[in-house]
Amino acid sequence: MRPAAETACHALHAGLLRAAALLVPAGQRGEWQREWQAELWHVSRSCEESKFCWQAQREIAEFCLGAFPDALCVRRQMHDAAEPAADVHGSAAQCLVGLLAAALLAMLAAGLLPGLRAENDAARYQVKHGLMVVWDGYRTASASQPSISQGLYEDWKTTRQRYFDGLAYYRMEHEVASLPFARRSWNVAHATANFFVVMGIPVRLAAAPDEAERGLPQVILSHAAWVRDFNADPAAAGRVMRMGSRWVRIAGVTPAGAWRLPGEPEAWLLEDDAQLKAEGGNGRLGYLIAHLSRTGLREGWDGEHISITARGPQADALDLNGSAIATQIVGPWALCRFALFLALLALPAVTSVSLGESNFSFHRPSLKRRALRVLFLSAKLALIATIACYGSMLAGYMRTSEFSGAAECVQLVACFLICLLGFRWALIDQRQRCPVCLRRVTHPAQVGLASRTFLGWNGTEMICMGGHTLLHVPSLPTSWFSSQRWMYLDASWEFLFADSPVW
Amino acid sequence: MPAMGEAAKLSHTAAMILQAISAGYVYGFSIMEMTGLPSGTVYPAMRRLERDGLIRSQWEKQSIADEEQRPARKYYKVTAAGRETLEASRKRYPLLERLLSSEEARTL
Repeated sequence: MRPAAETACHALHAGLLRAAALLVPAGQRGEWQREWQAELWHVSRSCEESKFCWQAQREIAEFCLGAFPDALCVRRQMHDAAEPAADVHGSAAQCLVGLLAAALLAMLAAGLLPGLRAENDAARYQVKHGLMVVWDGYRTASASQPSISQGLYEDWKTTRQRYFDGLAYYRMEHEVASLPFARRSWNVAHATANFFVVMGIPVRLAAAPDEAERGLPQVILSHAAWVRDFNADPAAAGRVMRMGSRWVRIAGVTPAGAWRLPGEPEAWLLEDDAQLKAEGGNGRLGYLIAHLSRTGLREGWDGEHISITARGPQADALDLNGSAIATQIVGPWALCRFALFLALLALPAVTSVSLGESNFSFHRPSLKRRALRVLFLSAKLALIATIACYGSMLAGYMRTSEFSGAAECVQLVACFLICLLGFRWALIDQRQRCPVCLRRVTHPAQVGLASRTFLGWNGTEMICMGGHTLLHVPSLPTSWFSSQRWMYLDASWEFLFADSPVW
Repeated sequence: MPAMGEAAKLSHTAAMILQAISAGYVYGFSIMEMTGLPSGTVYPAMRRLERDGLIRSQWEKQSIADEEQRPARKYYKVTAAGRETLEASRKRYPLLERLLSSEEARTL
């Protein structure tokens, strides 16, 4: 007997199993080892029936060597389960995940753009309908020059008005503002205290002033001046600064908007009427802001302009003009909707809207499959629209930090193009997806000859790797084969797609 | 996995192993003895059959193994899908059933 050799053989067998176990993923190693050790016990018992035999030991060793391919098989199965790349490639899920990632990226990037926020604000905080600047056509050629005396404003304000239900007045001055790091000359509008009430613009106000600052004049900054001179610092509101010869308190900041007042004020100094009159004297002219009443809107207002005949301070007749302060802006979302509508209108001009549903037989996929196909197409279109919307905002507002008509144009064109090309791609992609599993058909093969078109069809064949369908796409549409057709594969094709028969 | 929702096509080796399990050879070593295939073929094939849902495994109760003073074994059993596939394989490999049924009659 050779107990040492027997011990060595047992150690070798155990060692082989342990070595093979290292190939098995840790999570499955314990159970795998338990099974093989149990089997080894039975194999050893079966082979070593009486006395030590080299032949038996060799057979046991061969049995143990079989553990290596098994360990590799378990490892491969785990790997395949963790990374089913082959199944995912070209699948509907892969397509949707890609589109979703692009949409999220565009949303995130667009959300960071200050220009887009300004555009949104501009659309949200629009001046009231019927708001206009009144100007005297005898004194000036346009509304951009001051032409109204404060006396007229006060006269109108104290008398009952039929055509106006809100009046405000301001006068422009150039004043030097002492900013934190510089002094800058601002266009300051000395306005009546009700100015922003008449305009209907919600001003972002600072906290209430403390006792020491309560008596200071209140200044409202324009959004552009706040961004330019205060770097959009939220703490700017509430600060006390020197403007001209006096100390003022910044009471708030106006939201960005499409409205442009004559004189292009960068700040508004709100004053009561008496103070305004005392500072300006009688000779200074300014701007009269008026809001049309329902009667005024009904009679003579064409949305942009109105002619007014009014009574002057000396009871004489005055022919005045009223011009709208700003046209209504549509805002980024309305632009997107409009671009989407245009793209849908233009789509049939760039691609066929057919989904290539015809096939060689009467076979039709189940209702569930067809519903899934429609849902998949809808999801693609929705994601493309989202990408177009946010992507176009990104393109339009990348270089601007405030409302801009040019940015709106860029956004409209970009959104239209992305929608149009994206929808075209979605339809083409849909036509090349297997109606059963929604995978893209692959392996294109050229069939037939173009020179024999009238003898037999020529075109491209593509196959679904799931083994469901074969797609025939004619290269030259003919009366008998004008569009692509699906062929549903029967059982005779299975041998191409069955699991690998090597095992 | 089976293509087109139908029974998977098995290689002859895999069909033989499935037939052996169906015939009552329910653990790896017995299948090796029954089919004459080496361990490096039988065990990986059983893993794949189990992955494809054609067979399932179950550990023997420890108490039974303790009574017999041996380690517990892992037993394999053919599933309903496995039986369907085996039927298809028997048609594909007509000698399979005859070969194993005669062996089965001799062994069991």
